[in-house]
Amino acid sequence: MKLLVVEDEALLRHHLYTRLGEQGHVVDAVANAEEALYRVEEYHHDLAIVDLGLPDISGLDLIRHLRSRDKTFPILILTARGNWQDKVEGLAAGADDYVVKPFQFEELEARLNALLRRSSGFIQSTIEAGPLLLDMNRKQAQINGSGISLTAYEYRILEYLMRHHQQVVPKERLIEQLYPDDEERDPNVIEVLVGRLRRKLEDGNGFKPIETVRGQGYLFTERCR
Amino acid sequence: MSSGVRRIQKRWSSSLRLRLMFGSAVLAVLFMLALLPALRSAFLIALEQSMENRLAADASTLISAARTDDGKLSMPNKLPDEEFDIPNAQLLGFIYDRQANLVWRSRAAQDIAVPYLPQYDGGANRLLRIEDRRGVEFYVYDVEVDLLRGESAAFSIVTMQPASDTQALYRGFMQQLYLWLGAALLLLLGLLWFGLTWGFRSLRRLRKELDDVESGSRERLSDEHPSELLRLTGSLNRLLDSERQQRERYRHSLDDLAHSLKTPLAVLQGASEVIAAKPENREQTRILQRQIERMSQQIGYQLQRASLRKSGLVRHRVPLAQVVGSLCEALDKVYRDKQVTVQREFDPCLEIPMERAALLELMGNLLENAYRLCLGQVRIRADIAHDVCELVIEDDGPGVPVDQRERILRRGERLDTQHPGQGIGTAVVKDILESYDGELFVEDSELGGAAFRVRF
Repeated sequence: MKLLVVEDEALLRHHLYTRLGEQGHVVDAVANAEEALYRVEEYHHDLAIVDLGLPDISGLDLIRHLRSRDKTFPILILTARGNWQDKVEGLAAGADDYVVKPFQFEELEARLNALLRRSSGFIQSTIEAGPLLLDMNRKQAQINGSGISLTAYEYRILEYLMRHHQQVVPKERLIEQLYPDDEERDPNVIEVLVGRLRRKLEDGNGFKPIETVRGQGYLFTERCR
Repeated sequence: MSSGVRRIQKRWSSSLRLRLMFGSAVLAVLFMLALLPALRSAFLIALEQSMENRLAADASTLISAARTDDGKLSMPNKLPDEEFDIPNAQLLGFIYDRQANLVWRSRAAQDIAVPYLPQYDGGANRLLRIEDRRGVEFYVYDVEVDLLRGESAAFSIVTMQPASDTQALYRGFMQQLYLWLGAALLLLLGLLWFGLTWGFRSLRRLRKELDDVESGSRERLSDEHPSELLRLTGSLNRLLDSERQQRERYRHSLDDLAHSLKTPLAVLQGASEVIAAKPENREQTRILQRQIERMSQQIGYQLQRASLRKSGLVRHRVPLAQVVGSLCEALDKVYRDKQVTVQREFDPCLEIPMERAALLELMGNLLENAYRLCLGQVRIRADIAHDVCELVIEDDGPGVPVDQRERILRRGERLDTQHPGQGIGTAVVKDILESYDGELFVEDSELGGAAFRVRF
């Protein structure tokens, strides 16, 4: 998933960038609200982690700005005070959950995953599509009970397509899921990765859930639940 | 002294308008009482003056009608002033010679014995008031004339009129005077009441604005007050502004402090998690993390305590429904997957006598406990009776074991000795209640879980 992290403390920002990256997310980590507002216009994010105590534009105002620009992705707030005034204001401004500093990464991750699941309409941590079962905790896929081996990039593409099942997903969106920076972008890589993913899913049982919509992107045709 | 009288006395002494009204009324009555004898004597002087003028005119009539013939006085049968000739007339006329012998009397005076004898001394005329044997009072005007510029024709002309007419006039005047003075007093008091009410309107408006400020529905006093009050309202506004700014600054400082202390802790926490990846570091990391957790709790707890100081000027009453509404909206979002049903068993207009931030912390901590531990049902009950406010937050969760209840409720319990995992929630709740002289009870709920009862 592509996440936006807005935290002014460089060390904590770096920690979140690294740990979330290790969990298979593509992280946009910025130090202030202006940068965050620029990034959300440029890229498509699946979730934002916003520190309330930002310099200049506060975290609360950033959340209000994001919501007024029709950004509907879930927002998790990091609050230092942890008092109810801040929590209520943050949630009323448009955030979806809060974590009080200092936090254990596992707690943050659990809340973040719950928000991601909820935003794509899944309550469980697994997604089923016909014979295919995706375990988002273990980051593994199975077909008819037997595991298929996927690389980290293949897994990310599959998870993203399944979260956005029965919707056309543009190639650029998939590239954003794989690479944090513009320089590395190459649409051919996506074609290669999707081709490999298709082969792995079809292998032996003829399951073909990914279609190419010419000039637009890819479509996961199977209904997920 | 009965309580009713005491209440009235208290009311009189507490209201500036009533005091001024009472003082002005007493002054007005005293003024009128002082005015009364002056008016009365002025009227009497005017009355006697007019009586004198009249009797003098009548005496002149007699003088002009009188003829002397060789020192002997003769009066015509018919006088120019007919009143002297009418039998039983009020106007009486007498003429005496120098030796005070009666030489002539008018027709109506034929049968009247008047206890007055003039003494001719060549002096001026005079007005007297005499009383006859029956007690009837008369005004007597005595004028001495020398008709022929010779002693042989010197006479005392006396005209008289009973005082009964003037007495009736005087009584009528006094009646009218009392009536008018009474009416004037009433009118004066009415105008005074109106004037004071109008004059004190600005004070009443100031009181209303202060009520609004105290209740929190207004931030500062308006500038639309009379110039005499502007100095006071200006000072109050500056005081209010400075208190608000101080609170704001205080809050920002606390926010900054929290941010600047807790963010490094978050970094430390993150770093410790990285170090913990190596198995040989696990034990050390565990100690490190426990200390980070302890520091974080202490910082959080002390900051909460510091932020919940009571405001000196503003008396707060917060609608419970509003606070519960915003908290439930927030918690519903966080615990969305749980689909918690919240029963609100309290009057929607109920106002809690507590500062908003304090009530938000109190209810927030108790409600979050309930949301976290419940299976799907939370109940909030609240009531204020006999100046005691009671709030009960219940859930259908596992409840609190009896041995832990005492630990939660023990006063002065240090935070770091509290049960792990309890967080600072109940410590903050207890602190808030302490500053409001309140108590916290942990009981079993009818719903099956815990019931946190707050009373203050």
